[in-house]
Amino acid sequence: MLFEELVISIMKAVNLERTVSSPFHLIKGKKSGQTIQDIGYYRLHPYFAVMPKLDKNAYDEVIQSLFARNLLRPNEQVIDLSEAALGMKIPPSKLNGWKYRGNEILFLNRLSLIVQTLSHTSQSVYSFDPVHNAVDLQAWVKEYLVRIDFRDPGIAGRFKKELHDSLGAANVAEENKMMLMQRLTGLRLSGLTWEQIAAGKGLHTLDVQLEVIETLHAWLEVLESGDFPLFSPLLNGVVQRSSLTESAERTDKLFKQGLSLDEIAAVRQLKTSTIEDHFVELAMNDPAFDYTVFIPQDLFRSITKISAQRNTKRLRDIKEMLPQASYFQIRLALAVKEDIS
Amino acid sequence: MKLEELLFNTYGFTSFRPGQREVISQILEGGDVIALLPTGMGKSMCYQLPAHRLPGSVLIVSPLLSLMQDQVAQLKKMGEKSVVAINSFVKQAEREKIWDNLASYRFIFISPEMLVQPFVKNQLQRIRISLLVADEAHCISQWGFDFRPDYLRIAEILPVLGNPQVLALTATATKKVTDEIMAYLKLKDPYVYTHPMDRKNIAYDIKRFEKPNDKIEWLKSFVQEFEGPGIIYAGTRKKSQEITELLLEMGLRAAYYHGGMEHQDRIFVQQQFQNGELEWVCSTNAFGMGVHIADIRHVIHFQLPTSIEGYVQEVGRAGRDGEPALATLLYASGDEMLMESLVMDELPNRHEIEVVAGNSQESKRLVEEGIVRETAYRVISYWLSQMTAEETVARIDMIRQEKIRQIDKMKKLVNLAGCIREYLVGCFDQEVRDKPVNCCVNDGLNYEVFEKKKQKYQKSELDNWQNRLNALLPLG
Ligand SMILES: [Zn+2]
Repeated sequence: MLFEELVISIMKAVNLERTVSSPFHLIKGKKSGQTIQDIGYYRLHPYFAVMPKLDKNAYDEVIQSLFARNLLRPNEQVIDLSEAALGMKIPPSKLNGWKYRGNEILFLNRLSLIVQTLSHTSQSVYSFDPVHNAVDLQAWVKEYLVRIDFRDPGIAGRFKKELHDSLGAANVAEENKMMLMQRLTGLRLSGLTWEQIAAGKGLHTLDVQLEVIETLHAWLEVLESGDFPLFSPLLNGVVQRSSLTESAERTDKLFKQGLSLDEIAAVRQLKTSTIEDHFVELAMNDPAFDYTVFIPQDLFRSITKISAQRNTKRLRDIKEMLPQASYFQIRLALAVKEDIS
Repeated sequence: MKLEELLFNTYGFTSFRPGQREVISQILEGGDVIALLPTGMGKSMCYQLPAHRLPGSVLIVSPLLSLMQDQVAQLKKMGEKSVVAINSFVKQAEREKIWDNLASYRFIFISPEMLVQPFVKNQLQRIRISLLVADEAHCISQWGFDFRPDYLRIAEILPVLGNPQVLALTATATKKVTDEIMAYLKLKDPYVYTHPMDRKNIAYDIKRFEKPNDKIEWLKSFVQEFEGPGIIYAGTRKKSQEITELLLEMGLRAAYYHGGMEHQDRIFVQQQFQNGELEWVCSTNAFGMGVHIADIRHVIHFQLPTSIEGYVQEVGRAGRDGEPALATLLYASGDEMLMESLVMDELPNRHEIEVVAGNSQESKRLVEEGIVRETAYRVISYWLSQMTAEETVARIDMIRQEKIRQIDKMKKLVNLAGCIREYLVGCFDQEVRDKPVNCCVNDGLNYEVFEKKKQKYQKSELDNWQNRLNALLPLG
């Protein structure tokens, strides 16, 4: 998936309802209530946090180009896609951002140190400049290598075979696998900068970065089968066990212990609005979430009905029709509605 | 055991490089040492080897994070396992571990701002430090081109640590700076080792142009006639990218390198340069610190450096292998004005000093709101902790005068009619002995040795990921 396709995919989902900067926050993985809640409303899970280091200027340039080519219509308030943009055919993507949350980079960093080490040691070179200097990462890789007995040429060969077979099975274009491989280094083989890879392909650096992330997501999916034992340890801490943010998880725990929303806010010394965000997140992720604690049944039905009739998820529109509902109740109802439909 | 024996047994080297033996034996005899050794001459060996003899740990104060990381990596590469780096990037959990095992480390690297924190001081006080190394010691000099206020505080830590021996290391220092190092670190009768600044295999050239754009035209023909590897110091990030683009368009193997790039990309450019895949690297002054490439043939300065010391240090990255290398300085009329305003703008102004002095409670806000620049703030707050506002203004004024002297030295260089080598070496209070035949443009230069040898570079083309994997891991 190219970067522009990513932006348009998100924009299609939130067209006329969110600002042009909302895709930026989503792609960066901003953990605000608004962003987290939008993921559930608009089914944006694949795109969350796929580029945590995305630069605002780079993003704005892409937006300007969309305006310049009339894919975006001038609109001060919200994203306003033109017919051409709405009709753009975007191939299905293997992105799985909600699951990996930027942790795929941890996997890549481990892999690149392991490959660099094996590349040298298997060719009898025992001293080299590691591509990563982070102490914890180096310690992790060292421990891993010792555990698998990396000096045994048979083990190095098996590692290579697992790499070859699992990446081979990943469901992305072969040329994208090459881009990923170009970020790995070995004896007398340098890595390529994003810009160098992009120049070779006639792409933008953002495209190359995104394609590599997508390749990693597709590859991780293959590796999660457990059929590649040497790679299993590399997944530790990369795959999110729960789809909740850590903070929401803590709120969930307290809620299940019987604390009320206000009590949780007091105990955790957080604003009630933050705790409300957590409940919206819980509602989106837990099909068994009991909303009736917060919204009477009939009010819940009214909210979902208006949202469906008017085809809107804008809180203000719904609030105008149902002044008795609080914003929190509306947000919660919309979150729940998505998951039971 | 003889020193040579210790060197061989520890690192497998059979002989010392110039200066190392003198410095090491002085340290082992218990004295303070100031060593002026050019970069790439094995400065770190001067504390590495003594560490194997001294009873306690060696504490190395290193001013730049990137430099520190590189030093730690190099030490580990040489087989030293007992190395730790303490800086603001170390995570809390990791720090706990470090404090618990502090005494067990042979080499402790630390940044100056960490060094002065009370908690860190207490931790260091618990263990035995045999030797304190002030790396890049010229940063102590308020007159120097690289002044870092935090560095002056090394003096505060010495009594806390029970006044260990001190080794001050630097690649570039005038007599004046050496005196300052001595005074600030309160070194008593230190042994001073001064390596000759003059690098015989480097020839000096200065090209003068009417318009800045003429430099580009000159570079275009230069890179066609002459052969890398070479570093082009471009001054700004933008310029480094522009020049790279130009060279790439000409079909040359070039890449840019600057602080704005992702860390991993910077490593890759270094790898490519080291593996001979790149002929030219266009850089801001960020490039060079962690780069250990012996065969750099050219250092080209696209813009005037702000001091002779900085210039000599950057030029010194060329010709580490002892083979002929050429340093070319490009100058266009008006460059010195640009450089001058750049240097002067960096200094805190009277207004900033007065605002900080009058609002000591709200200093953070002053920086946030852009009333005082952050770099200026750090310098001002250091001096205000030492003296009154009026005295600080006077002090900054003295620093300004010194900067002007440094700029004048650069101006003199670009207008020089006499020998460039003699002039540069003279700036370090040394003299040139045995002028080489290929000396400088003002003595007449023979460019033939630098011409292209018409060797075709063979780039291995790996066309798919399986082939690249096989090249990375050529197994079975
Ligand atoms: Zn000369």
